[in-house]
Amino acid sequence: MRYPTDNHRDTFADAFMIVNAGLAAEQFPNLKNVGEAALPNFVGRSASFACGAVARVSLRVGEGQHIVDAKFKVAGCSVLVAALSVLTEQVKNKSTAEAAALAEDLETIKRRLGREAVNRDDCVLLASEALLQAIRAYSDAARDHWDGDDALICTCFGVSERTIESEIQIKKLSTIAEVTRACNAGAGCRSCYPLIEDILEEVNGKW
Amino acid sequence: MIYLDNNATTRVAPEAFTAMQPYLTEVYGNPSSAHSLGRRMNVAVERAREQVAELIGAADTSEIVFTSCGSESDNWAIGGFLEQNPARRHIVTTRVEHEAVRNLCVQLGENGCEVTWLEVNENGELNLDDLRQALRRDTVIVSVMLANNETGVLFPMNEIGKIVRENSDAVFHVDGVQAVGKIPIDLKHSEVDLFALSGHKLHAPQGVGALYIREGVKLPPFIIGGGQESGRRAGTSAVPNIVGLGAACALAKNFDEHKKIEALRNKLEDEILSTIPNARLNGTPDRSKRLPNTANISFEYVEGENILVQLDQTGICVSTGSACHSTTRESSPTLRAMNVPYTAAQGSIRFSLSRYNTEDEIDQTLKVLPDIIAKLVEMSPYDKELKALYADRSAAATPSGGKPTFRT
Repeated sequence: MRYPTDNHRDTFADAFMIVNAGLAAEQFPNLKNVGEAALPNFVGRSASFACGAVARVSLRVGEGQHIVDAKFKVAGCSVLVAALSVLTEQVKNKSTAEAAALAEDLETIKRRLGREAVNRDDCVLLASEALLQAIRAYSDAARDHWDGDDALICTCFGVSERTIESEIQIKKLSTIAEVTRACNAGAGCRSCYPLIEDILEEVNGKW
Repeated sequence: MIYLDNNATTRVAPEAFTAMQPYLTEVYGNPSSAHSLGRRMNVAVERAREQVAELIGAADTSEIVFTSCGSESDNWAIGGFLEQNPARRHIVTTRVEHEAVRNLCVQLGENGCEVTWLEVNENGELNLDDLRQALRRDTVIVSVMLANNETGVLFPMNEIGKIVRENSDAVFHVDGVQAVGKIPIDLKHSEVDLFALSGHKLHAPQGVGALYIREGVKLPPFIIGGGQESGRRAGTSAVPNIVGLGAACALAKNFDEHKKIEALRNKLEDEILSTIPNARLNGTPDRSKRLPNTANISFEYVEGENILVQLDQTGICVSTGSACHSTTRESSPTLRAMNVPYTAAQGSIRFSLSRYNTEDEIDQTLKVLPDIIAKLVEMSPYDKELKALYADRSAAATPSGGKPTFRT
């Protein structure tokens, strides 16, 4: 049985495929970095109570805080999958500080993903959060294992406790934002925020 | 294109299209007009009314009123009967109704009505004792669907009708949208008072539905105006759509290949469940209690929206109960009511077939699906859970210690 309009139907099918093409370009056929970075690696996780999505990013970090490999695993929507694929690809061979900046720049990720990512901030944020958590896992471990004379506070920018203390004293700083402006400490993954807070309190005296 | 989303909407039957065509071109009168063109339109509408009445076993054509969709029929039935009976404010319905009933009852509950929500078990079935206990002297309406749109699970309409009659003065409304055209329905030998149906679920066009109102049941008019539909729903009749609905009903009445659809569904369902270790069926395994065309299957620990997008890339259309794909960002309330864990609800896919599906299409689907699932399993962060599932199945499949046939 044929429709009198059967000859038009292929045109509709073509139009339909184009609608999905934007996101599809970043999608399954071209998906990058699925899996687990080789050990020893640093793992970050994120999850949404709202939709139930779960994401995991694992990083292998080499000399000079450079990310050698980034991989992900995920059970979540296509926007989240695509965001993870794009982000893990971008952070390779970047320093953890550069990677953190990329992770926090949600607008750029959304632009890259195109129309499908509009109004999907939550999904993109989950990808960004998993990456940031992985960087923080690295930073915390690096700080713990640091064996220099000065305690290391900001691993992303290699800022020591002594530097931060003297900046606070000399420039009379009272907030984390001011410390970051003065010496870059806290400008990366922000895992050192509580430590900077402690130093501020210690130097400026508790009240 | 392989269309396995027939519970969402269906292809307009060529027979329905052909029947509609004159009314979109040369036969264009207003059925309310007295001239010959108008009268021809009126004849067409009344012919369609007979065809609808015949398919659902109405005692008389006057019991059928045309509406614009299933949701309108549901809203009119419930809202209208409440308006007609302001003294009684107790409603009984189920947790798994279509939004047209569920969201309306939620709203009524916030506006002075008391709603009893009947629970379902993990198979999606009602406990009829719960219904018996829920009925009260002030129960005004009981609204229960005949077939669930997501799982295809059937509720025992005739039995429920008897219980409602014996234990209350309530009117019995049935949302039959998903069942009409798929299973035989005989309303005159049931206790159903109101029954909603929708054209586009049975190969008629979108934009037309009907409400069955049993003789003697009073509803206020849904639209006030020029007195169309015997004064019950004003507004110029959508004649081409109504003719399409009538033709689709006649086609469904004479359709005798339900067994063929069911066989294809069974093949799809059996093969998926036996070859994909993280697949599990949603809804009762007893197929006599499910629509013959629906298979709702969860692929645990992977995301249904991903499955949908990838199947779409290969030209296969399905639906998912995943939160990611709904406007509310919530996983399916039906699956939640059935206590399906969210890691399974997120990966749920509904395959719904129609008379136009072929065995080749099912084979093609069965060919591409395992690779899609395998890719997503590899991507899933639930490594441990999946490993256990895949190991279990391998062991079960090879009791003699042979080589496991399942991908890990």
